[in-house]
Amino acid sequence: MGADTDVGSGSTRTGEFREEASRPEGDRDLPLSERITRNPGPAATWAAVVAVLIAAEFGAIVSGLLSVPPWGWVGGLVPGVVEPVAALLATVAERGAELPTITSRSVIDNTGYQTPSGWEGTTLGLSPAVAWALRVAVIYTYSFTWLLVGWWGYTLYRRHYRIPDWTPRDDVVNRFRRHSWGLFGLTIVFAFVVMALFAPVLGPTTVDQNIENPYENRIDYYNDETGQVESIFVGEANGDTQSRGQGDNNVGPLEYDQYDRFHPFGTLPDGKDLFTFMASGARVSLLVGLTSLGIAGGFAMVFAMLTAYYKGLVDLGVVIAGDSIQAMPQLLFIILASFVLSDTWIAEVYNGGLVLAILFGITGWPALWRAVRGPALQVSEREWIDAAKSYGQRPRVTMQKHMLPYVVGYFLIYASLSLGGVIIGIAGLSFLGLGIEAPVPEWGRAVSAGQPYVATQSWHISLIPGILVVIIVTGFNALGDGVRDAIDPESDIGDGGNENVAAGGGA
Amino acid sequence: MSGESSGGSETSPEMRNISDSNSTANDDVLLSVRDLKTHYEERSLFGGDPVRAVDGVSFDVRRGETLGLVGESGCGKTTLGRTLVRLEEATDGNIVIDGDDITTLSGDALQRWRRDAQIVFQDPESSLNDRLTVGEIIREPLNVHNWKTPAERRQRVRNLLERVGLREEHYYRYPHQFSGGQRQRVGIARALAVEPDFVVLDEPVSALDVSVQAQILNLLMDLQEELDLTYLFIAHDLSVVRHICDRVAVMYLGKIMEFGPTEQLFQKPENPYTRSLLSAVPTPDPTVERDRTTLRGTPPSPRDPPNGCVFSTRCPAKIRPDGFEELSEHDWDAIEVFREVLRERSRTDPSLSERARELLGLETRLPDVEEAAGELFASRSFPSDVQEPIQQSIEAANDGNEEHAREIITAALGSVCDREAPSLLATGRTDSGRSSRCHRHKEEYADPDASGSDSPQS
Repeated sequence: MGADTDVGSGSTRTGEFREEASRPEGDRDLPLSERITRNPGPAATWAAVVAVLIAAEFGAIVSGLLSVPPWGWVGGLVPGVVEPVAALLATVAERGAELPTITSRSVIDNTGYQTPSGWEGTTLGLSPAVAWALRVAVIYTYSFTWLLVGWWGYTLYRRHYRIPDWTPRDDVVNRFRRHSWGLFGLTIVFAFVVMALFAPVLGPTTVDQNIENPYENRIDYYNDETGQVESIFVGEANGDTQSRGQGDNNVGPLEYDQYDRFHPFGTLPDGKDLFTFMASGARVSLLVGLTSLGIAGGFAMVFAMLTAYYKGLVDLGVVIAGDSIQAMPQLLFIILASFVLSDTWIAEVYNGGLVLAILFGITGWPALWRAVRGPALQVSEREWIDAAKSYGQRPRVTMQKHMLPYVVGYFLIYASLSLGGVIIGIAGLSFLGLGIEAPVPEWGRAVSAGQPYVATQSWHISLIPGILVVIIVTGFNALGDGVRDAIDPESDIGDGGNENVAAGGGA
Repeated sequence: MSGESSGGSETSPEMRNISDSNSTANDDVLLSVRDLKTHYEERSLFGGDPVRAVDGVSFDVRRGETLGLVGESGCGKTTLGRTLVRLEEATDGNIVIDGDDITTLSGDALQRWRRDAQIVFQDPESSLNDRLTVGEIIREPLNVHNWKTPAERRQRVRNLLERVGLREEHYYRYPHQFSGGQRQRVGIARALAVEPDFVVLDEPVSALDVSVQAQILNLLMDLQEELDLTYLFIAHDLSVVRHICDRVAVMYLGKIMEFGPTEQLFQKPENPYTRSLLSAVPTPDPTVERDRTTLRGTPPSPRDPPNGCVFSTRCPAKIRPDGFEELSEHDWDAIEVFREVLRERSRTDPSLSERARELLGLETRLPDVEEAAGELFASRSFPSDVQEPIQQSIEAANDGNEEHAREIITAALGSVCDREAPSLLATGRTDSGRSSRCHRHKEEYADPDASGSDSPQS
């Protein structure tokens, strides 16, 4: 029928087209597990590497996964049935945390004191600064190894196990790989996520010891005057290491205090360690940011699908609801609502983090929905939607299969852009003394605490958190830009798609 | 043809009766469309006239035939096709198959129809989801209708790929990797996946290269023979229709103007609209001399079709009222164009800004009636019985009352074409199954020049 005359035209368009690859014909139609059994080599190598990576952090992974849910609160919800299970899981999480990992504080210990003969207490007698830097390096090397292993796994799958030689997503991935600004964003975002994930071991000291319970923990130090190793409450030590701008009252970035504690970012006005505070604050910001984005994104995507598919009154209803929410000043509304909710049980989850996440989610979905509504409407006008209807496909499947994949890319762009906005919003609320309860670390509170000392030698208290916020928001924006250029709307939804995403801006 | 050849089916009461029309129908009739209307924006929030995309259409589709549906773009042929597969909701009328009315189906019965009837879309670039493999695309209807086991579905997709001239291994390719012709083959395979009886082909080749068109048409004809399919073939390309169709319906402004067997209709078109449509088809032989009937203006808006015959505003064979035979062709044309200007003006609701401009004495977008009349009638002199109504109507239009202006001129110079909608009349030999919608077919209006002796396509 002459069908073969122009088979090659696809190859020139995609640049990725190969004649049926070396894969044997018999592999067709088999499920992935079967395909792996037939050619186990690459998968086995990859799995071995992954196993090593997991083993290196087994304890932390178990405890990390299990400690995310607030077990005490969950157990309290349904006493009797859930409580014992929750308690058990909490115990497992604690035990897991005790297992040694390559990133444990105890493996590379940076706490110690300097005697005339050298450093005591630190690993291998290294100075605390070097020991801490080493641990940070190990953590980031480990994390970026995961990233590379993940990419390697994807390429293995693509080369050995995926049936189609080429998919439209390959082009997206290839475009993103060549997008240096997007890769820069990805690096920053990944580094930030690692900072949040490994917060407990990244700091030179711990939140518990240094920030939350300074009068329940003691540290040893070498007293020059007496020539003895003495012990002191962390709280007392903090009192002597304050950064308050005048005279000797300052511990700046990369300095030791008189108790031989190393402070990569200096100390806060109350003498606590700023880096530990920041690392832990990253966790709060990311958790609240992602939860709120999950809520907002869920609403936005469901509404986008429904309004684009059914149009008419459904669309009008959501437009009105969204406009009503957007008509309220977001931050003022959040301040008011978090105040109203401050005495309820929900305000206690994650020290008020859940309330913030919910409020940011509820007030944030209309913007996200408006951003994806255009692309969703465009897709809903394509003829394959009619085709699906003509052979009786159910609306839900049509939305999921024929519309959602075209909108997800746009959603990722706007989500990454607005995540930066949420982080700024949370920081802004803490700056005003609202939001996350003290003393749980939150970046905005550090900026606020350092505000009186901006013009003094204690400039670091405000400046470093401020710069970090800027870098991270820039990183999220760069990532969004990269994704936007990678999905190349022209090839998906047709002309006009470009303008829809060009005006993105979450913060 | 049971309905059509009897003539005037949409007005005759017995045609509304489904069982009645069924009992008289031939056994080989698959589908009977009766007085079908599909209007858009019927219940618009702000009122206004609905778009009468399909406005009272009746015909039968015989089992195993290819019925062509031709007409200019915007005549409602695609809407008609989409209504048949329930992509549009019919406003009125019935589509009857085996005693069931398609327009009122729901639930399981509708799902069965969605299996028995399929549609192939015009643009293969848009009708295939680029994110799915070709195999997934063709398989989807099978999944929806729970056809046998997954393994058998995959095998069927492979067979279909081979059947439509692609290769088995194209299963895991993406539509991006195919040319337009190949993508349309995928679209055809998807339509045939669930073994339909009836397939609407909505201009299936008009988006393709000419060299590929013939391949796809031949494929469609082979498939029809092999799988016993019934086609409704929608097209604006008349040579394609002549190639593939057994019978043809010519549509204009939501109505069927002429209906009949393809060869007869092409050789000896009865309706003035069909004649002008056919005369627009280029012939490969430049030495052949033909009368080309070039139509004046554009089709009227389907929101506001003409009162009489829908084609009356452009018809080259329009009947003149008695007493104006002396007027020259050109003079009469000028009058028709003038009426068209009035029509244009009255149809357009002036927007607020236009009204404001008018009040301020600024120029508006609409053609100025007096100016148009001046241009049209500059070098013409009419007898007083023509001149007077024209003058009156120009004055009425200048007062802003276009409706009244039109009434004046229609009363004085209008004919049966402006007042009465013609019904479909059986034409040709009694058993030919041909029908046409034109007043000229009545003896009293028979046109000596247009007796059908000329054959634009020989």
